[in-house]
Amino acid sequence: MPPTDHERHRRFLRSFTAHEPAIRAHVRRLVPARADADDIMQEISVVLWEKFDSLAEGADFKPWAFGVARYEVLAWLRDRGRDRLVLDEEVVSKIAEETTALEPVLERQREALEHCMQKVPADQRGLLMQAYQPESSIQEVAQNSGRSVPGFYQWLHRMRQKLLECIRRVLAEEAAS
Amino acid sequence: MKAELMAAYLSGSITPPQMQQLNAMLLADAEARREFAELLNVDSALAALAADWTSTPKAAQPKPARWLTSSPRWITAAAACIAMLLGAWYWQHAHTIYATVSKAAGVQELTDGAALRGETHDIRAGSVSLITARGARIVIEAPAEFRFESAQRLHMKRGRLAADVPPTAKGFTVITPSGDAVDLGTRFGVDVPTSGAAEVHVFQGEVIAKASGAHDKQSLRGGDAVTFAAGASTARELRSAAFIQPDEMPGLTAGLAAGQRAQAEGALAALRKDPALIALLDFESAEELPGVYRKVQGRWPGSHAPEFVNVGDHLKLDVGGGRDWPQLTLAAWVRIDRLGAPYQSLLHTDGWSQNNPGQVHWIINRDTTMRLALIGNVLAPGSVERQGHPDSRTPVLPEQGRWVHLAAVYDSAQKTARFYLNGQFDSETRLQTAPPARLGPAQIGNWNQQDRKLSGRVDELLLLGRAMSDAEIHALHAAGNPYR
Repeated sequence: MPPTDHERHRRFLRSFTAHEPAIRAHVRRLVPARADADDIMQEISVVLWEKFDSLAEGADFKPWAFGVARYEVLAWLRDRGRDRLVLDEEVVSKIAEETTALEPVLERQREALEHCMQKVPADQRGLLMQAYQPESSIQEVAQNSGRSVPGFYQWLHRMRQKLLECIRRVLAEEAAS
Repeated sequence: MKAELMAAYLSGSITPPQMQQLNAMLLADAEARREFAELLNVDSALAALAADWTSTPKAAQPKPARWLTSSPRWITAAAACIAMLLGAWYWQHAHTIYATVSKAAGVQELTDGAALRGETHDIRAGSVSLITARGARIVIEAPAEFRFESAQRLHMKRGRLAADVPPTAKGFTVITPSGDAVDLGTRFGVDVPTSGAAEVHVFQGEVIAKASGAHDKQSLRGGDAVTFAAGASTARELRSAAFIQPDEMPGLTAGLAAGQRAQAEGALAALRKDPALIALLDFESAEELPGVYRKVQGRWPGSHAPEFVNVGDHLKLDVGGGRDWPQLTLAAWVRIDRLGAPYQSLLHTDGWSQNNPGQVHWIINRDTTMRLALIGNVLAPGSVERQGHPDSRTPVLPEQGRWVHLAAVYDSAQKTARFYLNGQFDSETRLQTAPPARLGPAQIGNWNQQDRKLSGRVDELLLLGRAMSDAEIHALHAAGNPYR
């Protein structure tokens, strides 16, 4: 690569790796499964790199990337979402718009998760982490926990709700202090 | 109803009629949209956390990049392909590597550039600087045993750590056997001694400290420090010099690389042959020196030095007694906290009596100038000192507790006391009355009444029964300097 390209590439990688978790979270909020978000992320990373020149120097990478991500999610919904139970385009657009504005709060919420996880008993924490492993089999994890698969899904959802409650409390305390 | 729909959607078991209901609800209800987005946000954060998680401390295997198996656009975007391949590799790895060694100075067990995952590391000597996957800069000083649970959670069984935490790594946590420290950004230190209670020191910013078993957490700010003991945290004085800071490492590493340690050994060997030598303590001999102090690492990796931590900690020394010393050179490498008692004792003869003129008190004053007081000394007329004793002109402790070389040369024939900082001549005080120096039983780091507490480490202490020249002191510093 010529040096200018090389430099551009470095700048891109720096921005992209810094914001990758936020972009991934943004995409995750709009599609049914984490695996869908992973697939779309691959597409998004290619498009971001291709369009990186259109981003003015010094302009904020994150909102721009969120815009690209939203467009890619809509394209994915039209393309592959047809045979899946997915959110309506209108709902996706609304959520994308609202959560872009809400991102600073959502980012704090993601950061606070780690703290709230510490309050979860170690065995349950282990189960949660197993369930969320990229290649995990829910059947196996459910079996290990002694629950039926539907029962395990219910438990997972209860945990997510509990964690969200804890996260909101932490943020409320932060705001109060 | 709302919760049920969201649960079904998230578990992938939603039915078409339920999906219609969910879409209708989300379209109509902003409140529900926010709830939904926050739940999915938690889901995403859980996945990110799980990517950093290992159930047992073991080296994680890097996963093959999923992307190599799909995406036909590859073929059309060759440049992007290469770029993104690097990028993909980078995050696949960034997920499994918690920290990278930037510099291992005198550490046998780790090498520069080593990737740290969940395994336990036990380092016997030296200092290692690391950078976590989230960009926190850390220095750990041996002897230490530690392991990363994730890029944000470090378990320290023993050892000494200083961390510099940028906003991207906010929440970085150090877990010790007796309590945890959670950083809210900026700079702090944790000391887990081989025996004794762990301590947390905050140099800048804010840290939340929680002793194991305690209900309450404590918010510590810059300048605060606590000891974790018996399930509670107790405030203590800050020990800034106890920690090697990330920005100190390059100089130390360069010094080692330049062969400074061998130079220092050479200089010490020459001094041991000096007929005027009274004492030279490099703390490397097996002989136990009497006193109350911690044995820690000296200026070089794997070397030893006493550390004075609590009021009354001291080292006893009984040399050069029963005779006069018309000339006396005192020198030492010290690493001392700026905060401390009104006086910090470098060396105090036990006796201090008008009946025994010449007894020596070598001190760091409250304003961090150096003092060489001999009882019976009278300053020459016109001296600038206000307290009747020779004092150095400039403060001798730099802002950060780093190793500094202090020296004072007393000459009763010339009637002078000369001060040196880091090999450089600082100032000379002229005396009207100058008895020869008297030594004998003395303490380093304290005086009889336990009121001259020195907080920090002392290395390579020299007492020489002649006056060293400026050139000699300059060479002594140059040979023993751990930094480059």
